Amino acid sequence: MTRALEIGASALEAAAGDEAEAIVVAERSGLARFAASEVHQPTLIENVVVTLRVAQDGKTGLASTNRIEPDGLRDLAARAAAAADSAPRDEDFPGLGTPEPLPEVTGCDDDTAELGPDDQARLAASAIAAATSYPIYGYFTSGVTDFAVASSTGVAASQLLTDATALVIAAADGASGYADRTSWAAGRVDPADVAREAEEKAARTAGARTIDAGRYRAVLEPYAFGELLQYFAYVSFGAQGLLEERSYLCGRIGKRVFDERVSIADDALDPRGLPKAFDFEGMPKQRVALVEEGIAREVVWDRQTAARAADSAVTTGHAPPPSLREYGPLPFALSVGPGEAASADDLVELVGDGIYVTRLHYLSIVDPRQGVITGMTRDGTFRIRDGRVAEPLVNLRFTVSVPELLAEVPGLTREPKLVNQSDFYGERFPYGVLTPAIATTDFNVSGVGSAPGI
Amino acid sequence: MAVEAALAAGASYADARVVLHRDQSVSTKNGRVENVFDVDSEGIGVRVLVGGAWGFACDRRLSDEGARAAAARATGFARAAAGRHQRALAPVEARNGIYQTPLERDPFSVSLSEKVEHCLRAEKALAHPDVKVTQAFVRAQREHKFLVSSEGSDIEQELVECGGGIDALASRDGLFQVRSYPSAHGGWSSQAGWEYVEGLGLEREAPRVGEQAAALLQADPCPAAVTTIVVDAEQVALQVHESVGHPIELDRVYGTEASYAGTSFLKPDDLDSLRYGSEHMNVTADSTTPGGLGTFAFDDEGVAADREPIVAEGVLRGFLTSRETAARIGAGRGGSMRADGWSRMPLVRMSNLHLEPGEGSVEELIGGVDDGVYLQTNKSWSIDDKRLNFQFGTQIAWEIKGGKLGRMLRDATYTGITPVFWGSLDAVAGRSEWRLSGLTNCGKGQPGQSAHVSHGASPARFTGVQIGVRA
Repeated sequence: MTRALEIGASALEAAAGDEAEAIVVAERSGLARFAASEVHQPTLIENVVVTLRVAQDGKTGLASTNRIEPDGLRDLAARAAAAADSAPRDEDFPGLGTPEPLPEVTGCDDDTAELGPDDQARLAASAIAAATSYPIYGYFTSGVTDFAVASSTGVAASQLLTDATALVIAAADGASGYADRTSWAAGRVDPADVAREAEEKAARTAGARTIDAGRYRAVLEPYAFGELLQYFAYVSFGAQGLLEERSYLCGRIGKRVFDERVSIADDALDPRGLPKAFDFEGMPKQRVALVEEGIAREVVWDRQTAARAADSAVTTGHAPPPSLREYGPLPFALSVGPGEAASADDLVELVGDGIYVTRLHYLSIVDPRQGVITGMTRDGTFRIRDGRVAEPLVNLRFTVSVPELLAEVPGLTREPKLVNQSDFYGERFPYGVLTPAIATTDFNVSGVGSAPGI
Repeated sequence: MAVEAALAAGASYADARVVLHRDQSVSTKNGRVENVFDVDSEGIGVRVLVGGAWGFACDRRLSDEGARAAAARATGFARAAAGRHQRALAPVEARNGIYQTPLERDPFSVSLSEKVEHCLRAEKALAHPDVKVTQAFVRAQREHKFLVSSEGSDIEQELVECGGGIDALASRDGLFQVRSYPSAHGGWSSQAGWEYVEGLGLEREAPRVGEQAAALLQADPCPAAVTTIVVDAEQVALQVHESVGHPIELDRVYGTEASYAGTSFLKPDDLDSLRYGSEHMNVTADSTTPGGLGTFAFDDEGVAADREPIVAEGVLRGFLTSRETAARIGAGRGGSMRADGWSRMPLVRMSNLHLEPGEGSVEELIGGVDDGVYLQTNKSWSIDDKRLNFQFGTQIAWEIKGGKLGRMLRDATYTGITPVFWGSLDAVAGRSEWRLSGLTNCGKGQPGQSAHVSHGASPARFTGVQIGVRA
């Protein structure tokens, strides 16, 4: 039994409701953040958060604390009970889940778990040392999370998760390049390599030119497409968006929504991602085929939304963290099927004339039902001419309908890349998108911004 | 204890913050309780300078052992940090003080049942046949914090805030529209007692909100044009936040936020010379504003609250600073450092940043427009890493023809470049139209930190603005 599961069991003992569920997230992490090639914001975190859900006669309440001693847990139980007591009965409350077999997953690396502050500082320093042409900005972080869900109905799920990420922007006045690498095994994250990739990209962005707004063919690197897809998925691939008629998939399940080259799953079991065995209700994670060869197939569910659905929906193991419950079940392990292109350069050749996008910035959903998202490109935008990456461009504003962007996809690369999506707000819950680079015939540039760089 | 331990371990400067945090939220949706969540969290965060390098570590244990452990780990991390490390801090007078948010009715003394009832009543009043989802929410937060520094500061503050809001989500024939009150993305909050939530009038405003959500399903889309826009106070507040508040954070100007939120189009030597906007543009940073979410007696470096001009008659007059960035630019004294709880380092953050009022009413602003649109309530927002190119969408708009509001428009957006846009500001409505918006979702930093900030603004008019951006 892990320590988190022990704490969860203690919280359940303190609870007095008809049913109770304890979620425990114990984090030990370090993040060495640097700017201008100097560590300036190094942060070490140790915390344990217990969230208790109490159900009494169909009424539920939630409370959380990081006071895990007996007094703290007693107070937690009292506050959760008071929360439940305040609510009217919810006829749709499905009750707490019962134990189900959990899948075997990877996702914990002993060497990563053992990394300490000196190691995290050393790995950040290795990125800084590797960058010889540009000052760099970013971080190295690693952490270990002891995650458990226990319930009075017999659920007792626990998992140790490790994660490591190196993120680098190499930048000067008028030039910048980006790279990141993330994995559950720090040995697969070479900060020096990340810094070199960012520097190489930055060196090609000096002297950026502007272009006219309009519709372009484009190649999106995994960094760019991963973030765009994650934003689209927040509303359109979750059951709550479907039930509330906000999702692009409303009325489109079973219909063609994207190019047949596009297949998208949510797969927390994939060892190439950041694997997780269960969700925040302790239910087993399932691979969910969201889009198969361009046909919309399914969204992700938790027990609550499944109970509210008119049909026979069941949980797919996608209950969100307690702080995100208002958003319903969310896909946090998106995985895009590969194509046949050997490299992004091959996609550039397919596109012929267009633009090349490394990364996006500050996305916002303009129209969820139509899948319209706006944002900026950043840290490596180029013109594509004659099948080759040509001159650098200023940062571009785009306003795209994701379904239109994916309506005609000339190709995707063969090898997917795990792109970090976690900004490490709140409790540590690392997640990313596993995606290849992608080519599109329709990327709408709606405005132009300033030159890259700082 | 923590400060002493850090100094003994070789720190030249140390501060320790103990934070006891309590957060209570209630939300209802479609007539049932969606969430009743009561959160508490406590711990200590220790920040040190060792050889000119910062280090930060935290511990959830409020004990001698926890304090010493955090101090030791912070100094160790600082010692291991790569870089040149020459840092000066602007001087600060060592202060001892106690501050509490003035309030009439402690929001934590209001029962959860009363909060649930408050939401359910407001939500019921949103009902309309085309409204598929109604939701209401209220929240309360108490942050009791103590700051001790090696320079003699010893400060206790208890900040209490609460707020709420309602949303109506309408859909029909593949069209989806939303209306919110008093704003989207979490309503409004204020440092105040429960009287603030009652004063929002959620139930009173709900019928209008529900009807407008449904009416938007029948409205024409906002056309594409370059035109005059009148923007309501809530959207002006967000415009101030994104295109003034973030660019004037001096840490962004110096590039230390480049890897996440971005930098700034401003340069240090723009101070007192850069024309940010028209002569109607007057922006003030004020951490003393009654009810502001960024109101305090001292920031998280122990610098006393103050009111300072940022833009005066269109010219840049100030930055938001920390003690470190103030020393670096040789102006200011800090005063904008805030941390998200006990487990994060303080960063330069907005406190309360206001667009000062002009004259007249919103009707007079609209009356001066022959052809344009009136935009209300934010729906989407995006701005580039230097805070120049922005695009906002609003939940609702109305055509303006001959100085009067005409047909309702849906899916309105507008876009621009920050100094050009503010340069086109030709009127700001007066004090009677000025509203204090309290936002609880301002993100910055790695690991991520969320800040609560307020912006006072009146409706404002801008000319020559591109509207109607389409995918």
